[in-house]
Amino acid sequence: MAYVEFKAIAKSFGNFVAVADLDLEIEQGEFFSLLGPSGCGKSTTLRMLAGFVKPTKGHINVHGRDVTALPPEARDIGIVFQNYAIFPHMTVFDNIAFGLVERKLSRPEIKKKVDAALAEVGMTGFEDRYERELSGGQKQRVALARVLVIEPEILLLDEPLSALDKKMREEMKFWIKNIQKSVGITTIYVTHDQSEALTMSDRIAVMDQGRVLQVGSPVEIYEQPASRFIAEFIGESNLLKCQVTTLDGSACSVNLGDVSIPGRLSSNASVEPGQDVALLVRPEMIRLRPIEANEPPKLQGTVSETIYQGSVVRYRIHAAGQEIMVEVANRPDLPRLNTGDNVATYWSAESGVVIP
Amino acid sequence: MADGKMSQPRSLSQHQFKWLLVVPLVAFFVLFFVIPVGLLFATSFNPAKVGQVALVSDLTFDNYIRFFSRSNYLMAAGRSILLASIVSVITLIVAYPMAFVIAKTENPARNTFLLILVLASMQLDMVIRLYGMMVILGDNGLINQILQELGLTDGPVALMYNFRGVVFGLVQFAIPFMVLTLVGVIKGIPSSLEEAARSLGASRRRAFMRVTLPASMPGILSGSLLVFALSISSYIVPALMGGFRVGVLPIHIYQQVAESARFQFGATIAVILFLISAAAVAIYLRLGNRKSGGLA
Repeated sequence: MAYVEFKAIAKSFGNFVAVADLDLEIEQGEFFSLLGPSGCGKSTTLRMLAGFVKPTKGHINVHGRDVTALPPEARDIGIVFQNYAIFPHMTVFDNIAFGLVERKLSRPEIKKKVDAALAEVGMTGFEDRYERELSGGQKQRVALARVLVIEPEILLLDEPLSALDKKMREEMKFWIKNIQKSVGITTIYVTHDQSEALTMSDRIAVMDQGRVLQVGSPVEIYEQPASRFIAEFIGESNLLKCQVTTLDGSACSVNLGDVSIPGRLSSNASVEPGQDVALLVRPEMIRLRPIEANEPPKLQGTVSETIYQGSVVRYRIHAAGQEIMVEVANRPDLPRLNTGDNVATYWSAESGVVIP
Repeated sequence: MADGKMSQPRSLSQHQFKWLLVVPLVAFFVLFFVIPVGLLFATSFNPAKVGQVALVSDLTFDNYIRFFSRSNYLMAAGRSILLASIVSVITLIVAYPMAFVIAKTENPARNTFLLILVLASMQLDMVIRLYGMMVILGDNGLINQILQELGLTDGPVALMYNFRGVVFGLVQFAIPFMVLTLVGVIKGIPSSLEEAARSLGASRRRAFMRVTLPASMPGILSGSLLVFALSISSYIVPALMGGFRVGVLPIHIYQQVAESARFQFGATIAVILFLISAAAVAIYLRLGNRKSGGLA
């Protein structure tokens, strides 16, 4: 039995369906992300688990216990908010002690635990500060300490990095992941940022319009997206229009501008020969080479734009009536191409994913 | 660097233009508030002379000595402070729940309706509202009729022309100010604060007591300060609802100026009233800094 189970959960606000018939299972100790565009229902899902929103129908089980009807204070779930929700009238110490005071711990016990929590998040010495005297990253640390100190069963993180600047965000990504690993707490992370989800998660659920579209590891989600929406939402993608020619298990080949190209079928997808499909090729999976004489048939095209970005060079290739974006590492052993060059494109059969 | 130098002259003239915008208000304020009040305050240091209005060069502390050596004036000051304090507390208790409900009502139509309800009383002049209250609070008024009808009292209960009546009148007058101040502050408290408290183990009541209420302390302080200042300086309410029998400072000022024509002593009481209000502001600011982690 999974640690957290959403069973046929739905939530409507008036006529608006925020979450429709959602089933999810999250394992103990897992870092699980709900990823999707704003309004996809990920925050509502999180808030139902926290107990702030009552589901219209369905059940939520935690550790085998049905918590659907429990108020938030009876759920033993810690949450870190996007705005951190540091109590402005309390010092850092009193903020972190809040949950311990509610649990009626003795004064010395509280002091011991708060000190340990402060040390864990690297905020020793900040006990007497108020919220307005803290930077964004420090608020983040206090918010996390305040939750971890009560040792909840589940940690919920609601877009906790979106209020930070880019550099801080990169730093906190790894910091949060490390803390989560060392504490070993089951964590559910809500974000619209695919790079955060890919970096931090053990598994990701991609959501759109109140539904879960795909659940899988970051590698599965990135390399075998179940739909065009997921392929486009996560990472950058070339979705090339083509037709299926032959099919053999998950291996199949497609016809793209008179050239037959091998690919593999996306997970759980089913197609038939002759069907119009999309071939997903990530820009960094494609290699380019000037066309040589006696070339065996490959997808050929013309460089229509070159974009120099320092560590990588990006090329827009016009081929078979479509635009293909290619990203090449900026290395001396790779040929530098110019606008107007004719090129042949290559990618391994593994890197071409056929999506219905 | 070059950029900064280029834009400097323009930003300076924009700066000057901005100050130009406040000239009409400042001029009005100086002409009709600072100068008359300044003159009035200066008058308080002139010897009291019946019928004398103009400022003279003869300076004295006689008026202040008179104020502090007469028990009826000191009692009036105490009564004024007590009245304004009681009104502030009652108004806060009555207004907070309403302000809380309005702040938490997200439906814009319902929110506007509730605010209009609160502000409706401000559409009528104070005198008219007070005459309306008299109909209810008088010896033969609605409340006394009901009390006697129910057999709860034998004779009429004095609800008016006493301290109690002044409190009723001032609370009624102050409620919209308090509600408006509180709504703004309570609305500004993110709901995630209460949610964080709940998920940390606090019940709804505990979360309110430990987080929402303290977080609204800046509004509670500024709202009560506003109500205190409005109540202590009100003349019309003690005059009508107290029937001149509740001797607060504004009543004494009126009597000195309008009845005894002793401008200088009236001015002295006005200065003292002003100083009490200023002291209240100072105390509140201190309190605010301590109570709310410097939020006020």
